[in-house]
Amino acid sequence: MATVQVSEAEKVYILHGIRDDLRVDGRGCEDYRHMEIETDVVSNTDGSAKITLGHTAVLVGVKAEIGKPRPLVPNEGYLEFFVDCSANATPEFEGRGGEELGTELSNTLYKVFNNKHSVDLKSLSISAGEHCWVLYVDVLLLQCDGNLYDAISIAIKAALFNTKIPRVHISSDDEGGKEIELSDDPYDCMRLDVENVPCIVTLCKVGHRHVVDATLQEKACSVASLIISVTHKGTVTCTRKVGGGSLDPESIYEMTEAGKRVGKALHAPLMKLLQQEESLGTKRQKVGFLG
Amino acid sequence: MTQLLLPNTQLQSTLLEQKESTRTDFCVRLALTRCCIFSTTTTTMPTDTKRVRGPEVTQSPSLFLCKPAAAPPSHGPRADGRQRDQVDVRPVFVRCGLVSQAKGSAYIEAGNTKLMCCVYGPRETERKDETDMKFGRLTTDMRFAPFSCSERGSWIQGSQDKDLSLMLHESLQPAVCLHKYPRSQIEINVMVLENSGSVLAHAVTCASLALADAGIEMYDLVLGCSICQDGASYVVDPSYMEENSCGSLSSENQGGLTVAFLPSLNQISGMQSDGEMTEETLTAGVRTCIEGCYKLYPVIQQALAKAVRRAAPPPSES
Repeated sequence: MATVQVSEAEKVYILHGIRDDLRVDGRGCEDYRHMEIETDVVSNTDGSAKITLGHTAVLVGVKAEIGKPRPLVPNEGYLEFFVDCSANATPEFEGRGGEELGTELSNTLYKVFNNKHSVDLKSLSISAGEHCWVLYVDVLLLQCDGNLYDAISIAIKAALFNTKIPRVHISSDDEGGKEIELSDDPYDCMRLDVENVPCIVTLCKVGHRHVVDATLQEKACSVASLIISVTHKGTVTCTRKVGGGSLDPESIYEMTEAGKRVGKALHAPLMKLLQQEESLGTKRQKVGFLG
Repeated sequence: MTQLLLPNTQLQSTLLEQKESTRTDFCVRLALTRCCIFSTTTTTMPTDTKRVRGPEVTQSPSLFLCKPAAAPPSHGPRADGRQRDQVDVRPVFVRCGLVSQAKGSAYIEAGNTKLMCCVYGPRETERKDETDMKFGRLTTDMRFAPFSCSERGSWIQGSQDKDLSLMLHESLQPAVCLHKYPRSQIEINVMVLENSGSVLAHAVTCASLALADAGIEMYDLVLGCSICQDGASYVVDPSYMEENSCGSLSSENQGGLTVAFLPSLNQISGMQSDGEMTEETLTAGVRTCIEGCYKLYPVIQQALAKAVRRAAPPPSES
């Protein structure tokens, strides 16, 4: 991740503040920064979303393509994730610099979605063993100011909510082979149920307390963080410890509990907001990238 | 070097089939392939243009089974006679100092899982930036031999290998006293010879043993333990079948958890879970893994003491 240089005095200042539940920008330890979400920003995709969390900006585009299902699960489609750390975010990402971070992020996303209930993969099947929908979820990091995992997961949830997969029907042609036909009406599409899509919460251990949504300065003061991905019911789909330090088992129990609490509370307002935005329809004011 | 014996034999057998290759072509190809195998940098080649490949689409014969393989039952005793819901880890065979060329090495066998680890270093580091002036750098690389799993893997590092290498790095970094090795690099290479479940946990144990065998200063040994949660019961140190069986009942708790633990400092240096579990199950699982690590600790300590005694036998009494 992009790093900032933090002096010893500043580290002590941040540490003491967090000990008293007061962060540099006035937030509590479990508060998020100002978040802005907008869906349907890129018209060439089947679903897209852009999220700005403080100064972190992430753009997700989802494209649905028809492919062959995986041999072991012939009646399910699948998702493919790719995270691109663009050199726009920070000069450290120029060339191959951002590749390591990108692979780490996409591998974590595969783990987060590696269960039966997050996305209903059976609904992505067209004909068992031959055709299925493959959703390519591409994440682009535009600006990097800490807390990438959270921003990416929320953006993916919003983009999947916005995804419109065209309806197809199979017909057999003269020789007995199968033909796929896309329906003529561009508005005839299938939507995904994103109720169970989890959101990732990153908790950074700073001193003896943990903080949610750490900025780059706070991250520089912490030795280890815990990433936990939570669904709206409170089930944990993936956890991971990142960073070069070690954690006490007691801190891990505390952080998992806090992460579950924060994550669970994130889903309801998010779904409400997405449904509200959808209901505005064509009257919605598009902010785009310049707002 | 024992670690690299396997790729060479594979190379020779494919080259024998090529009747048209000239001698210079052979040498160039050998040199290029050697560079390809030896590189431990993170360059990813999506396709392998230097080897003669088999047919484009090959599939494992197990896909064509008449009836699907029976999933292991989620109640009752496990296939290898161990107990569920108890901290019953597989007996472990460990040996240090098997690879003579490496600074330190270790081999671990747990059930059918076999892995070996070699440590090279501390060496001078190629890249120098500010952090390198004060701290050493740890490079980890974890690879699977293509014949290690029941489905054939490829020699090119997939994203799973890179992910495991990263987690190995995160688990080992807190334990090594890197501030004692400024401007140096310590390389850890783990090779999985046979994957029969819970491979990351055993890789962590093996790597920390190899580091100790190499004489690298550490705060504590790092031990790994993993569990697999299946419904209401869990199995510690799962085998490959237990890890990969998708539970037939789509119950709430289904997933795996791996924990890397420093026993004498009581610190968790690495944790990874997937699947879906409730938070209480996760916390209970972490406690179980810590218990599993404590069970393994005396065996590892004994193996290390034996290796040290073998290398430098105590002076005789007379």
